[in-house]
Amino acid sequence: MRFFSSMSLLLAAALMAPVSAHAQSSQIVIAVPQLPTPKNVKTDGGETGVIGIQIAEQIVTDLRTTRAIYPMGPKGLKQYTPTEAGAPLYPNWQNIGAGALVTGYVQGRDDGRITVVCYLYDLKQRREMARAGFAVASTEWRRAAHRCAGSFVKAITKRPSHFDSRIAYVAATGSRTQPVRRLAIMNWDGTDHSYLTQGEVTVTSPRLSPDGQRIAYMSFAGGNPHVRVIDVDGGNDRALLQSTPMSFSPRWSPDGRYVAFSMAADGNTDIYVVNANGGIPQRLTTAPGIDTSPSFSPDGSKIAFESDRSGSQQLYVMDANGSGQRRISFGAGSSSSPVWSPDGELIAFSRWTGASANIGVMSPNGGGEKILTNGWQDEAPSWAPDSEWLAFQRTQQGTGVAGLYTVAVGGGEAKALGTPQPGADPNWSGAAQ
Amino acid sequence: MIARALIVLAGFVGAAASAQTYYPPPPSQYPPQPGQYPGMQGPVLAIPVLEADLRQKTGTDTVRFGRDSYVLTSQAQATLTAQAQWLIQRPFVQASIEGHADGRQSRDYAFALGERRAAAVRNYLIASGVPPEQLLTVSWGRERPTTAAAHDATWLQNSRVVLVLKQPQQNYFPQPQPFPAPPPPQPYR
Repeated sequence: MRFFSSMSLLLAAALMAPVSAHAQSSQIVIAVPQLPTPKNVKTDGGETGVIGIQIAEQIVTDLRTTRAIYPMGPKGLKQYTPTEAGAPLYPNWQNIGAGALVTGYVQGRDDGRITVVCYLYDLKQRREMARAGFAVASTEWRRAAHRCAGSFVKAITKRPSHFDSRIAYVAATGSRTQPVRRLAIMNWDGTDHSYLTQGEVTVTSPRLSPDGQRIAYMSFAGGNPHVRVIDVDGGNDRALLQSTPMSFSPRWSPDGRYVAFSMAADGNTDIYVVNANGGIPQRLTTAPGIDTSPSFSPDGSKIAFESDRSGSQQLYVMDANGSGQRRISFGAGSSSSPVWSPDGELIAFSRWTGASANIGVMSPNGGGEKILTNGWQDEAPSWAPDSEWLAFQRTQQGTGVAGLYTVAVGGGEAKALGTPQPGADPNWSGAAQ
Repeated sequence: MIARALIVLAGFVGAAASAQTYYPPPPSQYPPQPGQYPGMQGPVLAIPVLEADLRQKTGTDTVRFGRDSYVLTSQAQATLTAQAQWLIQRPFVQASIEGHADGRQSRDYAFALGERRAAAVRNYLIASGVPPEQLLTVSWGRERPTTAAAHDATWLQNSRVVLVLKQPQQNYFPQPQPFPAPPPPQPYR
């Protein structure tokens, strides 16, 4: 527990926007006083009064990672009673310099769990904006805090948040020439970490299904590299296809019903799509070159992919049935791994020049290109559900050690995401990517 | 009664006949005799000994490629010609053609490029007379570099295809099978 809390603090710090002492004019200031408890009782997760403070702190930490919101508190804010949580005394909060107020309470239950309730009020219009309530194990209060913060963000920005999201990745241990690769999954803040495979075979490219319940990935099980699907609890591991040549690079369709992937035979790699439960794959590309890394648009109508049909790897977009293929990247060097943002506005990619590889974004028609990172080898971008952050893999020159990083699409330094071991190939839940 | 007994007898004869064909006659040159080749130890092959023999007779088990290239250089072709002869002379060996790419391209592209290189080698070996059923192909992409450093003077050595020898498929050497038990006699009615 102590390990997780310290790690999540570290992670939260890593994800924080560039520290600004004051809210920017476009931001909504939200006051987050500590959550009261009707009766302070001891639970497995600590006293409910303490949990109330910790939840408020976690909500502030979460909200600080968004661009639209500037949170304040819980230090320095006045307290209130649990009965006030559902009916705030607006005049008391009028002059604290906030546009909105978070209230709520933590209550011990007879079954040993706790009830966490939270509200968001608009202090100017004096109305409720959002509310959420959960009965959770007392040790899982942080989950409740994430979901409270998520419901506030949804109410304000109309977008999903990443606070309750998960990240699947490949834990990379062993030496460089004798690597050990394990599928791993954790909450975005590093808590609730688990391994889904134990390293006996090499695995790559985990992709969470849109509902977060399954992971498509590539495995060398049986000696022939192929796409498999596994439940996030580690059960029901199966091959996506009955019997094929080598298949790799899986991506889910936004409705979770299909998986696009690449299949290679006789030196030719093409993109196919198949029902997520198996069946006969449908071929989408026929060019003699290497067509790979498909990624659906959020409405499912288009697929971005990479192809070397022009000589070097470049980004292309086609309709989901394979028609209307056109090139969208023309910058220097080669471009790979296109990933469509959950809001549909941008395509993230990695740009390879001779000297380095970095993460960039461009609009789906190829305009507005912007390079976000400045590493030696930054690749494999994956969008946060709110389309504001990208997770990616950064490899260090010389040692070749890989790690997970995040970068804000709006700009700023890349920050390391803590994982128990070196990590590669991050995939953020909450969107088909 | 007699007719039924004859039918049962015929059944036994039939079982004996099918048992006769249970052992497929080995092709004229198989199975190779123990000691005929280095690494031959009856039906089980000592793969490391065979691989050492391959490296000794053909110079190397590896062919290398230029960056992003799958073109076989003249040096690679000479190596593959020798490897093809080695394989043709040892039809009991199965070879896995393992394609690799260096780590300075996307993971997906590296898988595709490794497969493309392995396919180029496979096509060359088949054109040189190696039976296709003796060959497998695998792409490791960039997952198995040979160089310890991520990027130095030797990193292009990861762009390669390695011939890895395998035990032949299980039914390659006919194994004596236990005689199938005759069906239990049917009770007369």
